[in-house]
Amino acid sequence: MARIGVFVCWCGSNIAGTVDVKKVAEEAAKIPGVVEAVDYKYMCSDPGQNTLRKMIKEKNLTGVVLAACSPHMHENTFRKAAVKEGLNPYFIEIANIREQVSWVHEDKEKATGKAIDLLKMMVEKVKKNKPIEDVRVPLTKKALVIGGGISGIQAALDIANGGVEVILVEKEPSIGGKMIQLDETFPTLDCSSCIMTPKMVEVYQHPNIKLYTYSELEEVSGYIGNFNVKIKKKARSIVEKDCTGCGDCWNICPMHKNVKSEFNVNLSERTAIYVPFPQAVPLIPVIDRSVCLHFKKGGKCQKCYDACGPKCINFDLQDEIIEEKVGAIVAATGYDLMENSLYGEYGYGKFKDVISGLQFERLLSASGPTEGVVKRPSDGKTPETIVFIQCVGSRDPEKGVPYCSKVCCMYTAKHAKLFAHKVHGSQSYVFYIDIRATSKGYEEFVRGTMENEGAIYLRGRVSKIYEDNGKLIVKGADTLSGNQVEIAADMVVLATGVIPKKGSDKMAQMLGISYDKYGFYTESHPKLRPAESSTAGIYLAGMAQGPRDIPESVVSGSAAASKILGLFSKSEYEVEGTIASVNKTTCVGCFYCKRVCAYSAISKEEIKDRNGNVLKVVANVNSGLCAGCGACVNACFSKSIDLKGYLDEQIFAEIKSLAV
Amino acid sequence: MKTVINEQERRNFAREVESKLHDKLAKCYQCGKCSAGCPVNFEMDFTPNQIIKMTELGMADKVLDSKTIWLCVSCNTCSTRCPKGFEVAGIMDVLREIAVNRGIESKTEKEVQTFHEVFLDNVKSNGRIFELELVGKYKLKTKHLFRDMFLAPKMIEKGKLKIHSDRVSNINQIAKIFKDFE
Repeated sequence: MARIGVFVCWCGSNIAGTVDVKKVAEEAAKIPGVVEAVDYKYMCSDPGQNTLRKMIKEKNLTGVVLAACSPHMHENTFRKAAVKEGLNPYFIEIANIREQVSWVHEDKEKATGKAIDLLKMMVEKVKKNKPIEDVRVPLTKKALVIGGGISGIQAALDIANGGVEVILVEKEPSIGGKMIQLDETFPTLDCSSCIMTPKMVEVYQHPNIKLYTYSELEEVSGYIGNFNVKIKKKARSIVEKDCTGCGDCWNICPMHKNVKSEFNVNLSERTAIYVPFPQAVPLIPVIDRSVCLHFKKGGKCQKCYDACGPKCINFDLQDEIIEEKVGAIVAATGYDLMENSLYGEYGYGKFKDVISGLQFERLLSASGPTEGVVKRPSDGKTPETIVFIQCVGSRDPEKGVPYCSKVCCMYTAKHAKLFAHKVHGSQSYVFYIDIRATSKGYEEFVRGTMENEGAIYLRGRVSKIYEDNGKLIVKGADTLSGNQVEIAADMVVLATGVIPKKGSDKMAQMLGISYDKYGFYTESHPKLRPAESSTAGIYLAGMAQGPRDIPESVVSGSAAASKILGLFSKSEYEVEGTIASVNKTTCVGCFYCKRVCAYSAISKEEIKDRNGNVLKVVANVNSGLCAGCGACVNACFSKSIDLKGYLDEQIFAEIKSLAV
Repeated sequence: MKTVINEQERRNFAREVESKLHDKLAKCYQCGKCSAGCPVNFEMDFTPNQIIKMTELGMADKVLDSKTIWLCVSCNTCSTRCPKGFEVAGIMDVLREIAVNRGIESKTEKEVQTFHEVFLDNVKSNGRIFELELVGKYKLKTKHLFRDMFLAPKMIEKGKLKIHSDRVSNINQIAKIFKDFE
């Protein structure tokens, strides 16, 4: 016999202002099975919870219905209170009479009537409730970090320092990402490689980190705590354990004039066997087989092999597939820059001295193609006047993207500042739409570029750039004074917008996480769960989520790491028990459920007799993956799937309670 | 309006203004608070913040030819309210000075220019303003002999228009100040 307690919450005047709570309680007391119904000002308060606990104990309740705010708010609070009195937490039901009644209605009489109806439904439901146990999932305490940029490195180091094994996968031959390409970083002007390389070396030497460079993720399956991943380790053509990084091979490679260096953004050349930059981690070269003469000319050239002391070059090495089992994944795949060639009017590609911000970064860098001396790509002369154009691609819904790339205002101010430091008497002009300098020390940094370094900021966009007499004539506007301006520049630097890494959409599909229309991974909640992806066990970090600067990327890497360490601190992962379950006797194995499941939680299970003959194939719900959405329940033709906590008989009981 | 920025000319002009102003043009936020509060803004061809930007960009011709620099009444509302403490009224003074030095005659605000000249002459010879002489000379120069005449009796009545000059005792020092500046 059901013994149900009803609690009607006033929520101050939030509910009581529109709903006659006394009447709701009186009506509730009349429902068969309700032992007692009370109303209270704030059920979520300590005294409110104590009333609940006291009644569960004294009246020996078998079920509780609260008429209160949305279960999103306090369902957990009340469940915890119930558990303390020995009641299964799933015997707590909430009729939402705040969001669904008092906040949306004005007529007190009608609102009260609706509140009573909602309450009745829940009373009938709770009578049919069955105890549900939360699902426990075993955890493989090992993490996978995808992407070896600053956020991936930070995540890997934090997890590893927490005592957990980490696998770091990087597509390029070296870790370091975009940050290692930068010269100095705003707003403190620390040299990027000075602060980055120690971290890279730490990753390489960390006993808890297994580093796979020149490797890509090939396949991901499984679920939180139990992911199976396949990593493709591309053939480096070098026996890594024997290589000393001496450089004899790349110094002798005859292909030194034909291949553009990716690291120097096409401003210099590299060889076919190469390390992307001198501080590469690991300092092991890679043979680019698409250009290497050995591979192109049928094995004729093997100069590097001959030069190699330890004979660690092996042209026959093949791609390897490595399988790993991990419990959590960090997606830190980073970003790309937009194509500058989108803007024909700026002449990128046509005029050699129109370059991108990242290229200018390489020109400033001491490890760059000009060893830190600012020289024009066209004739090697030092420019005296540089025009910087911001928002190239960003904030341009027509040709580019509507969002702000966030870092360009700051790096342009930094470029202008460093240019003034390097070339005395030089002049920078910066065309901008708005200056966004919102973090600590940023506004002061930009003002410093204007006031102390003499960079001239013009509010307006540039319409066209053309060449005239060895100068780049920049036609722009200064909307503040209302003038069209023309500036003769020696060089133009475009602050190119940020887009997700090429292939990030495919990566998201492989991982089963959601991404926005641009390809940035979406967080589980934009404010309260910014480190989590939409899929349990997969966390996000860095620019893969959207434009952000270095400090924010580091923070997000650490956030993902702390989530993973938190997850791994328990022996098992607990999931709410309200998941789908299959009646294997009636299941006919049509697998229509499998087709509608958005979480890939349904698999095929063979039912065998004792001789091992397959009798029938039925659906099986993976409790780690099931999110309890109920799509399969609707899809099942033979009515063999039920969602725990939302059984058909419960729903019918709710509906029947409304029949007059 | 199209302006071709010549880096050398821009630099020279901006530096000339900055050295006379003892302030940096780059300080200006271009927030427009000066223009928002300017009591004579409605008559100006460029707002005060535009004058600052154009000066920074070296648009000397436009700035020195503008009505704005002559219409500014030096009430200092702009400088007082400027969040960056920029001498907005000061730049108008500097620009007027440069205009005069370059012999640029305002096309529209000749009378203002004349008034400034007469005013300074008056201070030079008296050490302070002798209103009657100022008004007389201004009227002779502008040939508006009878404009505002009806105000004179009221001013005399209130003691604002004295018949005799009230020259400062040590006029030599005034002369020295003028000499130092010239």
